Amino acid sequence: MVVVLAVIAMVSAGILSVVYGTTSVIIEENAARALESSVYDVLPSATRVDIIRRSPDEHGVDDPKEMREQEQRTTLIYQGINEQDQVIGYAFVGEANGYGGVIRVLVGVDEASDQILNIKVLEHTETPGLGSRIEDESFRNRFVGKTIEDPIAINQDIDNISGATVSSRAVADAVRKGFVETSSLYRGGE
Amino acid sequence: MRLWKDFVRGLWGENPTFRLLIGLCPTLAVTTSAINGMSMGLATAFVLLCSSALISLLKNVIPAKVRIPAYIIVIATFVTIVDLVMNAYMPDLHQVLGLFIPLIVVNCIVLGRAEAFASKNSVIASAFDGLGMGLGFTWALTLLGAIREVFGAGSIFGYSFVAEGATTLGIMALPPGAFITLGILLAVMNMIAARQKKKTS
Repeated sequence: MVVVLAVIAMVSAGILSVVYGTTSVIIEENAARALESSVYDVLPSATRVDIIRRSPDEHGVDDPKEMREQEQRTTLIYQGINEQDQVIGYAFVGEANGYGGVIRVLVGVDEASDQILNIKVLEHTETPGLGSRIEDESFRNRFVGKTIEDPIAINQDIDNISGATVSSRAVADAVRKGFVETSSLYRGGE
Repeated sequence: MRLWKDFVRGLWGENPTFRLLIGLCPTLAVTTSAINGMSMGLATAFVLLCSSALISLLKNVIPAKVRIPAYIIVIATFVTIVDLVMNAYMPDLHQVLGLFIPLIVVNCIVLGRAEAFASKNSVIASAFDGLGMGLGFTWALTLLGAIREVFGAGSIFGYSFVAEGATTLGIMALPPGAFITLGILLAVMNMIAARQKKKTS
């Protein structure tokens, strides 16, 4: 009885490890490609995207545990480059808690004017029909043209979606937090 | 003929959603649009077909005392395969159905068919039974999803037929809409069944 169960479990584990091995590569590629294509959405004039890693303390760290921690604190910044090899803007991901879970927003910022060009909601679990309207263009457009000097907050310079205040606020928080975090790293490192 | 009966039973007479009222959690949760309902149904149908056939094949090897854990391992294996393959080749769909794919493991239709049918019948009969039940579940979810999508989003299978920005019945896309639609559909199904009974008697 135990043997039968053990054999079934072993066969199952064997099959799954093969399936996982073949699919996990594709899954990771998909995720990376999806994020990259989103960068083109928020930086419309970019023809090429570079990834820059910026961590708060970039000295040589040898301890593997410390390296892992540093990796987690590392912020990925995407640099949009045009045909003339000029940097036209950068994009970053901001996160905040919404009504149903974490909301991840990709923000594209113009290099010259430091204004937001466009934002895109990458991930959310908000209520369909209410909070999910944060994906709508009419709401996302309210962020266009904002700079780091703006408050980027609901009821101040961003109108919320009626019936979806929590979701709207979370998007504003995500954009502002991401902006403040990456702006210091990005500008500071120049 | 017998095989045909095994197949059709799940589609109408013992339809898991409309007649047996089992597996209602995914039924209510994922049917916000026709395509979501259909995909969830097909994923479940695949698991049902494979697990019913395999369990029927193994029915003489598995001791009665450990049959439930053995069935669950078989079912969970197929569900995980569906989950991984869907994530790799249909990432958009996987993002929508997300949590509900792993939950097929605990969908009582799957274990129910394994226990009630596959463990007592031949491999081929079990496969037909699983396929019938799965497709019965699929059309029920697709219908539910289509109705909710038409009223809730003004589109069908993603093709919008109302003007941009038109007001739709948002409640139909929310959980209450699922209960209301299912209730009305059940009433209609009962009416049809009652009429059929009258005719035959």
